[in-house]
Order: sequence, then C-alpha cells, then structure tokens
Amino acid sequence: MAATLQDVLSAFDGTTDARSLSQIAQDLSLEPARLQGMLDYWVRKGKLREVSFSGGDCGGCGLKSDCPFVTRMPRTYERVHSDDLPPAGCGANCGCR
Amino acid sequence: MTFTIALAGNPNVGKSTLFNALTGSRQHVGNWPGKTVEKKEGYLRTGDEDILIVDLPGTYSLTAYSIEEIIARDFIIHEQPTAVVAVVDASNLERNLYLVAQIIELEVPVIVALNMTDIATNRGLTIDADELSERLGGIPVVETVGNRHIGVDALTRAIKQTLAQPPLPALRATYEGPLRTELDRLEAVVAESDAIPSGYNPYWVASKLLENDEGLTTKLQESGASELVQAAAEARARIEEATGEDPELIIANQRYQFIHQILDTVVVRPQSAVVTMSDKIDRIATHRIWGVPIFLLMMWLVFQFTANVSAPFLDWVDVFMNETVYGWGLELTAALGLGGTWLQALVTDGIIAGVGGVLVFVPVLLFLYFALALLEDSGYMARAAFVMDRVMRVMGLHGKSFLPMIVGFGCTVPAVYATRTLENERDRKLTGFLATFMSCGARLPVYVVFGAAFFGVASGNLIFAMYLLGIGVALLTGLVLKNTVYRGTPPTPFVMELPPYRVPRPRDVWRQMWERTEGFLVKAGTVILAVSVVMWLLLATPSSAQAGTFNDVPAEQSVFGVLSGAVAPVFEPAGFGSWEASGSLLTGILAKEVVVGTMNQLFVDQSAASPDAVEEPDTSFGEELGASLLGFGEAALLTVQEVMNIVPRTINLIPVVDIGEISFFPAEAEEENTTNLQTALRASFEDSAGSVAAGALAAVAFNVFVLLYVPCMAALAAMRQEFGWGWMWAQVGYTFAIAWLAAVLVFQGGLLLGFGG
Repeated sequence: MAATLQDVLSAFDGTTDARSLSQIAQDLSLEPARLQGMLDYWVRKGKLREVSFSGGDCGGCGLKSDCPFVTRMPRTYERVHSDDLPPAGCGANCGCR
Repeated sequence: MTFTIALAGNPNVGKSTLFNALTGSRQHVGNWPGKTVEKKEGYLRTGDEDILIVDLPGTYSLTAYSIEEIIARDFIIHEQPTAVVAVVDASNLERNLYLVAQIIELEVPVIVALNMTDIATNRGLTIDADELSERLGGIPVVETVGNRHIGVDALTRAIKQTLAQPPLPALRATYEGPLRTELDRLEAVVAESDAIPSGYNPYWVASKLLENDEGLTTKLQESGASELVQAAAEARARIEEATGEDPELIIANQRYQFIHQILDTVVVRPQSAVVTMSDKIDRIATHRIWGVPIFLLMMWLVFQFTANVSAPFLDWVDVFMNETVYGWGLELTAALGLGGTWLQALVTDGIIAGVGGVLVFVPVLLFLYFALALLEDSGYMARAAFVMDRVMRVMGLHGKSFLPMIVGFGCTVPAVYATRTLENERDRKLTGFLATFMSCGARLPVYVVFGAAFFGVASGNLIFAMYLLGIGVALLTGLVLKNTVYRGTPPTPFVMELPPYRVPRPRDVWRQMWERTEGFLVKAGTVILAVSVVMWLLLATPSSAQAGTFNDVPAEQSVFGVLSGAVAPVFEPAGFGSWEASGSLLTGILAKEVVVGTMNQLFVDQSAASPDAVEEPDTSFGEELGASLLGFGEAALLTVQEVMNIVPRTINLIPVVDIGEISFFPAEAEEENTTNLQTALRASFEDSAGSVAAGALAAVAFNVFVLLYVPCMAALAAMRQEFGWGWMWAQVGYTFAIAWLAAVLVFQGGLLLGFGG
C-alpha cells in the first residue's frame, strides 16, 4: 500500500525540527516527486509550512530564483503549530495560510 | 461565435511562455476584476477564427485556499471556456497531475500540454503521451517545449479539433468505497436542486461539498441551497462513520492514488543498471580520493583564467575611468563654472574615483562568472557540492550546509537567509556563522588589485589561496564548534540529484554571467555611490580648525584621516599599519567592494584634489574617445592572446618545462601594465612594512584580513534578523579576532621564515 497523506503528516510527529523532502521520501520509501504533491496538500491545508529560500534576498543579482544554486536548495517543511496560526478574523480564503 | 481557451497550470511550468507562443504580440495585460493578480489575454489566429486565450494564475489546486485558486476555478465555472489547456511540467508530472485531475472533475473539455519535455528527457524520463491520454479518459495530450516553440503547432491543431468536437465523457473512475456511494447519492440530490447557480455541474458540486469546501458552501447558502449543504453534512458524517476518516482526506488520498496508478504506467524512469557517459565521468569527477583534488584544480583554473584573461580589460577600464572619465569630469565641471570648487572635487575625487575605482573590476567579474557559468551549465558544479558534502561530513558537519555556503561565494546575505532550509536551529546558526568565511564576490576586487600589484601573472594563485583559506577556516571553525558548543549532533547524509553532463548552452551562460554582473553594477550605482560621497565629505572635512578648511585639507588631517590613523596601530603587527589601509578596512564594513573604492580615492587622487590640478586639456574629446576605442581594441587582442596562452602557461608551471607563449605585441610594450592604484599600493605597503619583500607579505596579510574580518553591514543585518543580536555580536567579535590573528600570523610568520627579505 502506497503512503497516504496521513503518513506524510505523521513523518513530522515527535519533532519540532523542519524536515527535508528527500528525508521524508527516504523514510516513507516514496519517490520525492510523488511526495511533493502530497506535501503541497498539507501546506494548502495549513498543517505544514515550506521553509523556502527563493533567491529573493540575493540583492541586485538578476538570477534570483533561477540561480542554479538556489534551485538546488533542499525543499524543507515544518509543522505549523497552533500558536502560529493566522490572526483572529482571518478567513480561509485570505491566502495568508 | 468567439471561442475561449483557458491556460491553467502550476506556477513555473512555462505557461506564460506557451501563452506568448500561441498569441504572439496580440496580448492585453490587466488585472482580474477587483484583484491585484495579473490577467493576460491574447488571440490565437487559426484560419478565419480568432480564439481568445486567457492565461489563468498559476495554482497547484482548485480548492479555495488562495486568491489565485479562486480566480482560476471561478473563471472555469462561470466563464465556461470552450476548453482548458492544462499545461504540465513533464519533468515533474507527479506534482502537476493533481491539478489536471481537478480540472477534469469540472467536466470541461481539457487538453494537456506536456511541456518541458526536453528537461524530462535530459533527466532520463520517458513519458508515454498516448498512454497518458488513454488513462485520462482520452483527452488530447500534446508534447511541447514552449521556450523553443516545439509542439506549438500541434497544440494549436489540438485546440481546433477540440473546438469542433463534442466534449468527451468526464472521467469519474477516481473514487471508490463509501465515498463513491455517497458521491453518487449527493450528485443526484444536487442535480434535482433548483437552487444551484448556473455553470455548476452536479458531480463537481457534490465532490466539493464532500470535501467541505468553504467557498462553495458559503455560495450555496447565499443562493438558498441550504438543504444541499445539510445533505452534504449528513453524507460526510456517514462516510466518517463507515471509514473513521475525514472525507476530505479520503478524496485527496484517492486522488493521489489515482495519479500514482497513472504514473506507474506512463512514466518510465532511467534504469540504474544503464551506465551513461555521465556515470563514467562521475567515476573520476566524484571519486572518493580524486574528487576533491579535481575540484580544487577546477577552481584554480577558474581563477587563473579570470585573473589573466581579464587583466587587459581591467587595465583598459582603469585608464578609461581614472584618466579619461576623470578628465571629462574635470572639464565638464569647469565648463559649468565649477572649476576649483568643492563640487568639482566631489564629482571627480568623490564619485568618479570612488565608483570608478570599483567599476574597474567589472571585466574581472564578467570573466569569473563566465567560467563559473560554464562549470554550472556543464553539470560540474553539482558534482562540486556532492564532493564537498563528503568532505564536510568527514569534518563532522552536515552536508546540507554546503549549499548555503556555496551561495556565500556570491554574497553572504542570501547565504545567511538560505540557512532557513536547514532542519534545526543549531544547524542554521552554525552554517550562517561559517558562511561568512566563504569569500563573497565583493572581496574579489581586493584580491585582484593586490594580486596584480604584487604578484603579476601569478595573481590567480593569490585569489585561489584566499578562496581556499576561507573554506579551510570555515571547516576548522565548524569542527571546533561541533566538538564543543554543538557536540552530539550526528551529520545526516545529503541526497542530491546529479544532472547529466552536457555541452554548456551559450544563452544560459550569457544570462548567468550578465545577470550576476548586473547585480554588481546596481550596487555600484547605489551603495558604493553613497559611500563614496560620504567618504569624500569625511576626507574634505578638516579634523580641527588648524588642519585646514573644507576641501582644502591634507587627507591625513581630515576627519577620515584622523579616525583611520587612530585605528592604524592595531594593524602594525600585521604589516599594514598605514592610515590609508586602516581607513579602507573601516569603510569595507559597509560593503567589501568599498575597500578598493576607498583605496582609489586615497591613493590615486589625492594630488588631483587640489584645484591646481585642473589643467587645460591637450587633446580634444574626439581624440580621447578615439584613443579609448583604440585601447579597447588592444585590450580585446590581448585578451585573445591570454586565452591562447592559458594552456602553455599552465604547462610551464611544471618545473623544467618551458613552452613559448604567444605575444601579439613587442615585449617592452607589454611591460607597463600596472594601474595607478596598483603602483601606489605597492609603494604604500612596502613603506609601511619596511622593504619590498615585506610589502608583499603585508599585502597577503591584508588580503587574509579582508577575507576573514567582520562581514558587511547587510550581512550583519541578515544575521541579526535570523539569529538575534547576541549571535551577531559573537560573529563580529570572532571574525575580527580570527582575521587579526591570521593576518599577524601570515606577516610575522613570513618574516620569521625569511620571506620578508
């Protein structure tokens, strides 16, 4: 039986650290490309957050997110805890999640 | 009748490129009504028909979690386009098919544009487009490479065919079990309801209600379909009772299961048993023993190439900036009636000398980025990270730390932010701490100017040594911290995909070298310009009434001179205790490029600061321009000469080997190739160190200090933001201490070993 969405979320149980795509893929014996979409699901649901570096801080360098080094950065995710949920009154459709 | 085609897809799948390829210049760009999201429309002309193409915002899904998702799904539901072209990234099909599955559920005609097939092929993936079409219920699947205009005609034909044909029956085979039963039951209820707004198809409404879609639920309640919302709640409760799971999760799981089943038959991954040419090269390039020496050799070649090939252009730009443009500045300000005033001095000695002194290094950066882009585009750089990962793990560090550190070779600021991608705070702090030792691009001009002044054609060795020293200090610091402060955290292996080797593509190489150099130019026009103006003001302001008046004061007695002089004794043990060297290091804290800009202001142009220095030009503007163009031509020829000499010069490094080097000009004409700054630097360092040989030693010590000392203000601000004030001050203290110790060690150690003459 292939890994389910619940398995993906369980990979973050018992740790407050962020976890990389490749690490979780290894733990769940899943190809990273297949896992990516499932992680996207939890990010959309507000249960996980991607800790990304998109090259936006690269000063004047025009390559930014196209920089070969930036694109090779590991994709890392961390669990969203109840104390860092969106502020009160923030709806599901506001996009801040 | 006007046909409308909506382009949908994940972000960064080449959707906009395909949109441009389909519509050409017939586009209109605006915003979606009431939103700040960009809306692009254009027309595709096929025969006598104009088809409206609408580029929907990039989304990963059609739920209602982001404004982009809402726009995309509302457009498909309410505007009812004739068909939707789902653009998918063939190299990342797994991620993209989730959206395709959701679009298909909307029961609109769909065409799949399997884009970026070239990248998929490069990665060794084989995608069976016919099988994909069949598994998706017979919808057309067209292979495209949008940026090379491949498959665009086939996509246009597929669009035309879809317009002429009735829509295919919807694909509904994705759900099973209690979910399927409840979905069918709810669909029937929805179909009979009069309260459903137009455009919504019952199947999609039923599935979304089971997913508990907030947006749709609100809309149905507003349109008086509360009984449907109630029926859906009951259906969800029954599913949950039967399965013990949230229906939304079951739907998503079954959707992913459906996608994975499709991928099993559609995508063929490369067999690891097949040994490709890349694998054969990697047996040497990433070899356990040879991998590191090969990496070091590559880097050494890069710096040799950069230093030698850029030298002719560096000389040309130096003459152009510090003589021609400086002269024009004098003439222009004199023509405006500002001759001999402080404004003239500000323009020439402040702005032109400060910014121009930094712009001189643009050729160096262009050639460096050219060499690095060649290594990157060929696929070697990924191997470098792989090889260094192994070294770092041996030293007890996390291999993942190396990527932010590699970014640090460009700029420390993004390197600090890139540590966010590491798993825990301890790794983030440690990597951010070490990344500052990676020699950033802003320090390169310092090595280049000192290398050329003191070591001539061997200047590449100095640059290489500085980069190597930075890595060495970072590794040693990491090792110490891992065995003290961060004891007990085992390194984890770093999984990194190695792309196949390929011949570098000129367009990609050009883009990388230009866009990186452009960043340097932007900084020269902003930060360095501002610092140059402030620097000039401090140099023009007397430290006391006895020292002189504004813009008429010996530099040493200016505010800047006195401040720098107060710091200078600290550096005497390192051999560079002059106030000019100390002053340059002080301004270098603002931005490392400014070290050279300040030196240019201090060493070269002091004589010109006096109003007496304004001379009547001997040559006309046209003659000067002609001479500059001639100089450019000579520099170009010399560059070709240097490129041709790379191989013999490298071989000549082997003792007893002496291969003749090519020379386009007589030897005496080539001798005078040091810039004004380099000559002044040599004199100053030899003076402060005591002898010619000791001057070279002091120069190396100065470079070591520049490499290791306090990062620039922007990097410190990034560290404070990411790690807090305490960590930032620890960094300041540690880097200053280690830089001073290393510089003193180099100078005093060198003297003891007899290198000081």
